[in-house]
Amino acid sequence: MLATLSGLIPQNLAFPTGGMDLAFYVVALFMLVTAVCTVAVKNILQSAVFLIFSFVGTAILYLLLHAEFTALAQVMVYVGGVVIFVVFTILLTSRLGEDAFAVKIPRVFAAFALSIIFTLVMVKCLLPIEGLASNAVAAPEGYASLKAFALRLLGYGPDGFVIPFEVVSILLLMTLVCAITIARKGKEDEEK
Amino acid sequence: MFVPSVTHPIGDFVRSWVPKLTAYLPDALHNATLDSITAFLVNALICIVAVCAVNIGSAPILIYMERKVCAHVQCRLGPMRLGWHGTLQTIADVIKMLFKEVYSPSGADKLMFYVAPMIVLIAPFIIAALIPFDHNLIVADIDMGIPMIIAVNGFGVLGILLGGWSSNNKYSLLGALRSGAQMISYEISFAMILLFVVMISGSTSLMDIAQAQDGTVLDWLIFKIPVLGFIAFILFFISSTAEMNRAPFDIAEAEQELTGGYHTEYNGTPFAMFYLAEYIALVTNSALAATCFLGGFHAPCIGVAAIDGVLQMVPGVVWLFAKIYFMIWCYMMVRWTFVRPRVDQLMAFEWKFLLPVNLVLLAAGAIYMILV
Repeated sequence: MLATLSGLIPQNLAFPTGGMDLAFYVVALFMLVTAVCTVAVKNILQSAVFLIFSFVGTAILYLLLHAEFTALAQVMVYVGGVVIFVVFTILLTSRLGEDAFAVKIPRVFAAFALSIIFTLVMVKCLLPIEGLASNAVAAPEGYASLKAFALRLLGYGPDGFVIPFEVVSILLLMTLVCAITIARKGKEDEEK
Repeated sequence: MFVPSVTHPIGDFVRSWVPKLTAYLPDALHNATLDSITAFLVNALICIVAVCAVNIGSAPILIYMERKVCAHVQCRLGPMRLGWHGTLQTIADVIKMLFKEVYSPSGADKLMFYVAPMIVLIAPFIIAALIPFDHNLIVADIDMGIPMIIAVNGFGVLGILLGGWSSNNKYSLLGALRSGAQMISYEISFAMILLFVVMISGSTSLMDIAQAQDGTVLDWLIFKIPVLGFIAFILFFISSTAEMNRAPFDIAEAEQELTGGYHTEYNGTPFAMFYLAEYIALVTNSALAATCFLGGFHAPCIGVAAIDGVLQMVPGVVWLFAKIYFMIWCYMMVRWTFVRPRVDQLMAFEWKFLLPVNLVLLAAGAIYMILV
């Protein structure tokens, strides 16, 4: 069994032992455990909390890849925004999270089979890549810094992203206006 | 082999001394990699001890200070019996708190109940590591200090929501929901003011922001930009008070309405952790105000060479702590002076007044930057 497994691993793949690699394995294990907990725990609020820890693990992975701003944006958007609102919604709607939700058994089998197939396909596709780096390749100096990032985001040149940025800002403005329209009292409500 | 390193002069000092000390060890342990790992671990230990000393050490001092300030505002004396002017009272309280039995109410979600106080402590500890205490005295001199602060503030909301929910108590849940809504709302104006600071000083690193205010008192951000700086400082003061859930914005606890809010059911060490988080947040927010608006670790020079020379002989740490404690005193005076607004008044104040004013301030700051 072990021999066949070692035969599968190509010789060009050096077994990683650096500090960064060990950190990656620790974080990956943490993410896997929290991800499994997210779907496995009975209480819906607890799964939201484990989801947050999983997102924090993702942010640490970004940090290991020297993408600091992406990591902070991950924490800011998901931990500070999305999941807090998920928690709020759960607290306000689901009878204080008392009703546990059960996972259907056939669905578990289907999901299990799908995830195993997905893993096999990923391994099959990734392993033949030449020079699959074990160490994170250092980005050019200042490439991922906030300044370069901001200049690129608001740049007018051929490599700038100012048009998508403005389109997204208009979309956000529209959602804001929509939220206010839904939330505000109509004339009929005020008369009552 | 890659070994992470701590980049500041104390780190360099440790790195230069570790090889000299390992020379006394047997030859088998002479190894450059081993030395760098040892140096890193020693540096990390120094950083952790420093952050814990500033945070946990300031909590008893602040509790004593709060009692004294509160008492003198209300024409009382405060603790007087235990030790000189009641100085030992806080230590006695801390010991009592630590030796209490820890238990959770029946029907509480045990895991969440004990995890919540720990989550609340994440944000203050991370922010404390980012504060520059002197030119070379900073635990984590990272490029994105301000985004980091905004990002980790979310953990505070999360911890309070979880604590309130897992207590299995309606008062706690109500307090947690109120507090969550309040903190999310005021986080926006808090971030806006920090954005103003970043816009004026042109950097997101707290060290650069502090360095940019070198010079006389007039170079401090609060006076650097006429009127706007002062308005920004007041807005920061208001939104950070609300962000910390301190009176007059303490509707989350509101003893008369909610019997204590989200930590009603907590006792012993978990309660002490909530309390500690509140007081560390007081320190970090004051330090942030001092760094962003009051010149950080710089001496309050007035432009006269003779006086400035004397003032600059005092180390920057002392100046920063003086400013921090001045800010804390301001927060405490506000707490014991003003009355608490209603929930709807509080939210209306943020969304209908503070946020528009912030946006106008941001625009005015941008115009100032273009004109000057």
